[in-house]
Amino acid sequence: MKRIIALFPPAVGLLPLVIGLILWQLIQSGPSPLFPTPSRWWTALVALALKGVLVPELVVTLWTYIVGLVIACVLGFVLGILIGTISFVRRWSGMLLEFLRALPPAVIIPIAVLMVGYSPSMKIAVIAITTIWPVLLNTVAGVSQIRSLTLDVARSLRMPWSVILVKVVVPAIIPAFLLGVRIAVPLGIIITLVIEMFTGLPGVGRLMILAQRNFNSAEVFGLLSLVGLLGFALNLLFTVAEEMILSRWPPRIAARR
Amino acid sequence: MSRQSLLPGLGGIAIFLAIWELLIAGGIFQFEYLPAPSRIAIGLIGMLRSGSAFVEIVHTLAATIIGWLIAVVVGVTAGAVLGLFQTARRYSLASIEFLRPLPAVAFIPVALLLFGFSLQTELFVIVIPCLWLVLVNTMGGVTAVSQRLQDVTRVFRMSPIDAVSKVYIPAAAPAVLVGCRLSMTLALVLAIVAEMVGNPEGLGYAVVREAQALQPEMMFGYIFITGLLGVGLNSLIIGLSALILPGVFRQPSIEWEQA
Repeated sequence: MKRIIALFPPAVGLLPLVIGLILWQLIQSGPSPLFPTPSRWWTALVALALKGVLVPELVVTLWTYIVGLVIACVLGFVLGILIGTISFVRRWSGMLLEFLRALPPAVIIPIAVLMVGYSPSMKIAVIAITTIWPVLLNTVAGVSQIRSLTLDVARSLRMPWSVILVKVVVPAIIPAFLLGVRIAVPLGIIITLVIEMFTGLPGVGRLMILAQRNFNSAEVFGLLSLVGLLGFALNLLFTVAEEMILSRWPPRIAARR
Repeated sequence: MSRQSLLPGLGGIAIFLAIWELLIAGGIFQFEYLPAPSRIAIGLIGMLRSGSAFVEIVHTLAATIIGWLIAVVVGVTAGAVLGLFQTARRYSLASIEFLRPLPAVAFIPVALLLFGFSLQTELFVIVIPCLWLVLVNTMGGVTAVSQRLQDVTRVFRMSPIDAVSKVYIPAAAPAVLVGCRLSMTLALVLAIVAEMVGNPEGLGYAVVREAQALQPEMMFGYIFITGLLGVGLNSLIIGLSALILPGVFRQPSIEWEQA
């Protein structure tokens, strides 16, 4: 637990943010069309929740995000091991993967809309396709960084390949895999929101765009802070989980230094 | 990518395209709006010949680079200040760590509210997340300057200006460059998103426009250009970094932009 707490900066660092928000609240007098006070953000959010709109859309966003991310993690892990362990596949697919990685993830959305149409499963598919890259590429890199000596030891002990996979390869690549997931977690939130903004499918992203179209600035800022809290919470959750996993499988196995 | 892996790399792409082409030509793979690579190539050539794509390329490139430059200038300055002064860091780090995971795209509605459908909206969306990336890397680079080097500046009674220019900048440069490189790719990604949802100009808008016009060849053509732009910008900045700091970027590392 101490190690996890040590990961975070001291809480006094929150002072500028808090002071800024308080000043905003105090200096801003009367309603403002563009910069509503923080208290108005809150009332706007509460109003939205009381209308019964906010919670279902938030649930949809979170649900599709989690399903898409889990699919990406599982597929990325499995494919990453496959591509990483079979050396000719790794060499032949390297450049293709580099190009696909360089594609800005958001351009997948119009392709998916055109080919599959607007549907919740399209949303999950797009989230999975875009977040799979960091997981996949980091897993491949993790496999390629396993020391050949380690593999030789396993082979000279005449381990069957299934045992090598479970006892040598998988524990060695967990840190690299987690690094990929660490990047996929915030990327997934962004993609989920972009899809909702772009297609108008249910979710917080759509609520934000609707609020903006209605020039409801308090709602826009309220949803922005809600999404910010969400991002912060997911990041926190992942950091804690990562720390717990890494204390079991420390990264030194994979490091080639 | 080394020269050794160039041939199989290109071969892999060729095989991928050939399979795609065959699946469609053979009628095995049938989506109404998935054109064969050859049709995309024809569309792409037509687009380049008529010059219609260049306006979009220039717009996206300009927005990406302007946004990136703003983020680099502000981020390096702020990151250096926070890295050098422990008190400043102590009283702001948690705020930064709190604001940083805020998803970049969530700023699009705010930017649209403030600036409407304009270049400012696009730049606003590009600058904020890139800024965090540069700032955090610069700060990390400066704080990681070893205690021994810091002692050297004190023993030699270096003036603060000398200490910064002769010790801190060279020591922190690799980390700063990593931040600059990652934020460059991120800037392009964000420019595309901003153009898709916010500012109706540039490559991002072109992709959406062609999709809505049911012109999949043109859409894939623009997507291909976008990918090339990403690869190009990334290799450009790796090349520049290698010029500034030979040796640091020889080891290709797999990272991913944190948006």
